[in-house]
This record gives sequence, structure tokens and C-alpha cells, in this order.
Amino acid sequence: MTAAAFADTRPLERPHLRVTPGRTALVLLIIVIAVVAAFPLAWMILTSLKTPQETMQVPPVWLPATPSLDAYEKVAGVVNLGRSMFNSAVIALITTAGIVVTSLMAGYAFAKYQFRFRDPLFAILIATMFLPPIVTLIPLYRIVGYLGLNASLAGVVIPNLANAFGIFLMRQFIRGVPDELIEAARVDGASELRVLFQIIAPSVLPAIAALTLFAFVYHWNSYLWPLTVLQGNTDAYPIVISLSRLLSYNRGAMNTGLVMAGATLAVLPPVILFVLLQRFFVDSVVASGVKG
Amino acid sequence: MQRRQNAQAAVMLAPATGLISVFVFVPMLLTIWLSFQAWSTQTGFETARFVGVQNFIDIFSNSSIGRDFKAALLNTAAYTALSVVIILPLSVLLGLLVHQKLAPGGIFLRTVLFATYMVPMIAVALVFSKLYSPTEGPLNQILGWIGIPAQSWLSSPQTALWSIVLLNVWQQIGYFTVLATAGLTQIPDALHEAARIDGAGPLQRFFTITLPLLGNTLLFSAVIAIINSVQVFEPVALITQGGPVNATNVLTYHIRRVGIERAQGGLGSAMAVTLMLSLIVAIAALFAFARSRAVKP
Repeated sequence: MTAAAFADTRPLERPHLRVTPGRTALVLLIIVIAVVAAFPLAWMILTSLKTPQETMQVPPVWLPATPSLDAYEKVAGVVNLGRSMFNSAVIALITTAGIVVTSLMAGYAFAKYQFRFRDPLFAILIATMFLPPIVTLIPLYRIVGYLGLNASLAGVVIPNLANAFGIFLMRQFIRGVPDELIEAARVDGASELRVLFQIIAPSVLPAIAALTLFAFVYHWNSYLWPLTVLQGNTDAYPIVISLSRLLSYNRGAMNTGLVMAGATLAVLPPVILFVLLQRFFVDSVVASGVKG
Repeated sequence: MQRRQNAQAAVMLAPATGLISVFVFVPMLLTIWLSFQAWSTQTGFETARFVGVQNFIDIFSNSSIGRDFKAALLNTAAYTALSVVIILPLSVLLGLLVHQKLAPGGIFLRTVLFATYMVPMIAVALVFSKLYSPTEGPLNQILGWIGIPAQSWLSSPQTALWSIVLLNVWQQIGYFTVLATAGLTQIPDALHEAARIDGAGPLQRFFTITLPLLGNTLLFSAVIAIINSVQVFEPVALITQGGPVNATNVLTYHIRRVGIERAQGGLGSAMAVTLMLSLIVAIAALFAFARSRAVKP
């Protein structure tokens, strides 16, 4: 995680700070908070490298005597790890692609077109951003059943292919694209879809990156909807559901290391993505909070 | 021209509005309709039978249905209030640490805090269930080092909900710190400078300049924190199953158990409608409170 701190492009102000007691105290405070914040994840990784005996010792041992990857090998034998990771990737990638396309289209319309009921329609769509998913879960479960999508990956993906946050984010950024740029393309005879994907999309690339990352992480991590729609179809389980099954397996076998190995693997993709592209995440949170 | 734009707008809006209509608006209206019906989730909507407000009477009655629901409603309210009350001040303090230029390390802190927000809640729940373990977990061990007696964490009704609040704060605080930092960057340095020249100390400046000008950010943070808090599901589903003795039975878990697992769609929908109304009331109250305290420019 330290690598990303250096990857941040914000210029360092006043690079040569004098050492004072106040400054030292602040740095110490920051280090203590960072250690506390990182502790659960550090514990997860350390435990995944312990032997089964070490994970059960009282009082707990912090560092494995000889770190081993046994737990990672065993976890692959308990759940179909490759399949679960693949399912998670399919769910997250397709959903994200859908959200980016539908959000770009709707965001363009709301940002640059004049049409009847534009503002009330936008307001109603944005209101759904504040609707907790549980409120619609029961009928949604049945609707997806009617569409014949129960217990399938399609049932996990299709209801999430558009969302209000994406429309909001795209509208905010597309508004900043100069009208002259769009007019010039139209004069050249470009269709509206061409204008959107060849002129506008490249000029709002940072926003697209932010939306991509946010949507990917959200849908990689999401649990309630896949759990509800997939029922017992273990072949379609994403990694987060397979993980929860590891715990029930663990109750009999008492192998905490196994669970922690699975958790480590599930955590890696979203966290790595974040560490690589932290700036876009931060920008989109700021955009949703301040510009609104 | 206007007509052409109407047609083009319809094309651009069709995918997003179509999907959101079918998978958000229609289900929302159905939830309201179903809350007045007796209906099994395992059957088609056509089997629903109108029962008036009977579902609402049931979920607030003194039967076991009512007791469980009221417990879940109160637990959710307590969980939400605790989360907001801890997250908001903490996010401002951490935001100040990220924002300050006196000492290095602000961006590093933001990275560490925000990284936890990316961790799947199910993994958070798994890890914390081990951290909280009364004998094999490191938390009681650490408490022991500084002379605090061992806690029962998730296994006692008195501490279980608190333990889940703590886990939630750990996971979410990075997001709210980034929001607070964004709010802090909007406050002009000149204001602080002027106050400093007038002889205002750091604390005085915080309470007269920083906090009032963070008002909108804090309002937005509070709304998001409330919405996020009522969605708590994974730690409860995975570790406590609502227990011990209903202490962690929260609405998202309870509504799913009743409406999906027990297939009592009508009852579950009445609970979902109650949740939606409670949220609207809570957020309206929050806005009224914010307006009454707003600084006049």
C-alpha cells in the first residue's frame, strides 16, 4: 500500500520540513492510525500463512514460525476456487461494461439535449441512488424468475446494467465538454452515437475510469443479490459466496488458515485495482460529494 | 430541432431508463402493492390476495412476527445512529490529518484508510469474526496487555451489535474521510489566515470556520452513512444469524429471511415499506436539523 502513496501525483509541498516536536507527534499519530487501520488485513494475511495448530493457539501467535502456503492449496480443494474467481470476474466485468455504456448514453442526453421532462426525469432517476436494495429485493426476485433468469449468472448481471450513480457522474463530466466540439462533429455528418463514443467519451476518460473502477469493485464485492438469485447453483457462485461456504466448512475442520487464505484471494483484485488507480477513485468520490 | 432532440434523447435514454424502470421502479411499486396483499414469494403475483393493512398490523403486533420485526427495526435504528455518530466526527478528524500540510504522511494515511473500503464485506466479516474470537483472537490479547478485561464481543447480546458497528466503521471510514477531505479543500485558506491575524487559536478557528463551512459535506456524509448502515447484511448473515437473542437481527437480514427464505412476500414487503418510510422520515429530519443550524452567509 505504501507504493500507491508514492504513485500519487499530488505535488509534495514544502519538501524540506524542519523537525519539530509538533510535527513528530503528528507523524507518529498518522503512523499509529495507519497501523490500526491496516491491522485486520495484516492479521488475515499472517493467519493464512500459519499452520492449523498455530491458528488455534491460546494466546494467539502473531507470526507464523515457518510461513507456508498449505492453506492456499487446501482451499482450492474445498471450493472450486478457479470457477468462483472466474464467475466473479464475469459478473464484475460485464456489469461494469453495461453500466459504462448506459451511463454514457443517458449522461449525454441529460447534459447536452433539450427535451421535455428532462429535469424531473433526472431527479426521479437520481432518487433511486438512495434506495436500499432490500426495499425492492422481494418483487425483483420474482421478476427475475418470470424472465427465466433465476439461478444463472445472467440473473445476477442483467438487473444491474444501469444505475443512477453512473448517469449522475457522466452528466456532471459531459456538461464540461465544449458544445463547439460536438457541433463540429455533427457538421461533419457524424451520427449521435459516433459523437458520443468518438468525441465525448475520450474527453471524459478520467470519469469513465472512475466509474469503471467503482462499478467493478462494487459488483466484485456484492453479496446480497447473487446470494438471493443464485439459490443453490454452486457452479455460478462468485468468490464472495464461496468464501461464506468456507466458514461453514471451517466449523467442523477448525482451520482458520483456510478461511483467511480464501479471504486474501477475494480481497486481492479490488484492492490491487484501487492501489493502482487510487487517484480516479478519490476524484469520483469528490465529484459525487462536492459537485452535487 | 426540438422535435429531433426529443427523438434523439429517447434513443440515448432508452437503455438506462428501461433497465432502471424494470429492475428498480416496477419492483418498488410492487413492494408497495404487495405490502397490502397476502402473497407467497414462491408463487406468481396473480396469487396475491388483498388483505388491507393486515400485514402492517401483524408486523407491529405482539405476536412473534411483531416482536421480531420491532426488534429488527430498533436494532437497525441503534446500529445506524451509532454508526453515524462515530463516523462523522471521526471522518472530520481523519480528514484534518489527511488535509494538513504541517507534517508528511497525509496521502499515505488516505491510501491506507480508503483501501479498507475496497475489501469485500464478506471478507471483513470473516476476518473480524476471528479478531473478535474471545480466546484465539488478538483483540482480547491486546486488551489484556493494557489491563482491560476480556470482552465477549459477538457472543454476548450486550456487545454484539456494538461489535458489528465497529467492524462497519473500520470498513467505511476511508470513504467518509475522503469526503471530509474534499470538503476541507473547499474552505479558502484566506479565511483561516484572517482569523489567525485576528488572534483566533486553532480550536477557535476549527469551531467558527471549519465546522460551519463543512455543513453541506457533513449533511451529505450523514445521508450516505444512514443509507449504507441500513444495508448491513454480511456480518449478520455470516456470523451471528441475528443472534445472540435477536441482538443483531437487523432489517436487511430480517426482511430477506421473512420475504425470501420463509416466502412470506406480503409480510416482507410491509416491512420493506416501513423501512422506506422510516428512512424518508429520518432524512427529512436530518435536513430540517441542518437547515435550522445553517450559517447565514
